[in-house]
Amino acid sequence: MKLNKSCHIYTLFQKNMKVRSAFIFMMILVVQVAQAQQVFSPDYMRSIGKIYVVAGVTLIILLTLLIYMITLDRKISKLEKRQKHE
Amino acid sequence: MQNPSQPTKPSSIALWKWAAIIILVYVFIAGWFVPLKPGIIEASPDRTIAGDQLILAVKGYNSHFMKDPDQIRAWMRLKGDTVIKALHVEVVDDRHLRASFYIPSVFPIKQDAYPLTLILDHPTDGSSVLPNAVFVTPAAVEDPAEMGLWTRDKIDHIHKLEGFRYPFRNILAETIRNTYFHVPMWFTMIILFGISAWYSLKYYRQGLIIDDNISTAFVKVGLVFGMLGLVTGMLWAKNTWNAYWSWDVKQNMSAIALLIYSALMVLRSSIEDDMQKARLSAGYNMFAFVLLIPLLFIIPRMTDSLHPGNGGNPAMGGEDLDNTMRMVFYPAVIGWVLLGIWISQLVYRVDILKRNQ
Repeated sequence: MKLNKSCHIYTLFQKNMKVRSAFIFMMILVVQVAQAQQVFSPDYMRSIGKIYVVAGVTLIILLTLLIYMITLDRKISKLEKRQKHE
Repeated sequence: MQNPSQPTKPSSIALWKWAAIIILVYVFIAGWFVPLKPGIIEASPDRTIAGDQLILAVKGYNSHFMKDPDQIRAWMRLKGDTVIKALHVEVVDDRHLRASFYIPSVFPIKQDAYPLTLILDHPTDGSSVLPNAVFVTPAAVEDPAEMGLWTRDKIDHIHKLEGFRYPFRNILAETIRNTYFHVPMWFTMIILFGISAWYSLKYYRQGLIIDDNISTAFVKVGLVFGMLGLVTGMLWAKNTWNAYWSWDVKQNMSAIALLIYSALMVLRSSIEDDMQKARLSAGYNMFAFVLLIPLLFIIPRMTDSLHPGNGGNPAMGGEDLDNTMRMVFYPAVIGWVLLGIWISQLVYRVDILKRNQ
């Protein structure tokens, strides 16, 4: 398995075209959805008894922990690679 | 060190990690899907003049007004037993009703404006309250004979909703569920920082570099949980206090606490020598944990704060955390703390491996 040399996520985007395009696609999607539904307008956030606030809080927690897990995974991959070379 | 070319049998994960998974699954399901009790979202108009007829349009939440519409009763409460009962309640649909009151021209107390609390009672939905629903300005001409209207009616035979449901609180509404997500972030942060300080102390006494690795991992993950607590709190504040950052004492002090711990990471990255780095950060870490207590628990309690649990606001009690919520909140704290310890353990295992290579 080919492993990236650098651990930094932004250098990953510079080097790996596939990941970068996927990231850009995701950003465009998020912006489009946000514009179409006005996700961040107070009226939307406060509809249905403000349930979207709970959704936002849950999403922030899960996404942050997920990203943290990904960085940890990359750290371990780097260690494994180094161990293979020894 | 193991040879990677010889695959070893993967050992199963510890019991407490399974417990963390099961508890968090329970917390997510119960936290998201247990319904709220019925409540009142708003009533309009929100101001009127005394000595006049008031037709109040009431908007309910999770309510079932169409069920037994003629048994719905409504009151306006000034204080204690000083109430007036609605003359007539007309149900529009499950979520809307109109209640007509006659507001007496004379009040038992003298004020510039009288805030009245709306109370509804429904046989199956139970009772619901909207504090300060209507502000009444005094009448130009007062009729002392109407004083008797305030004592004529009593709030009696209130129904109580049975079942596993979270309380409906005005302004909070569904965001009361954040108690299981935002609050345990801070609990986890404090416990991780506490464990970290303990390992710093251990390093100070025994000087084993492994304790420094463990201590740092707990700080790193504790910082992630602290940041999560701050960001989720900001989103919650935007929709309840109307601003992401209201310079509230609790917000400021928790931001300072996070900055102190961030400085620890900066300090570590600026020292080349491993032993010196470990010694300095162990000292700093214990100092930071001692500072955490007044920042999070003492200073916010001494002044006014919007945050529950500070400046006279109760937390962990009353309607904010009833017995139904306790059945989810305490497992939530345990589950998130176990997850935090789990992640910290992964981090320090990686760090120790890295150092040993």
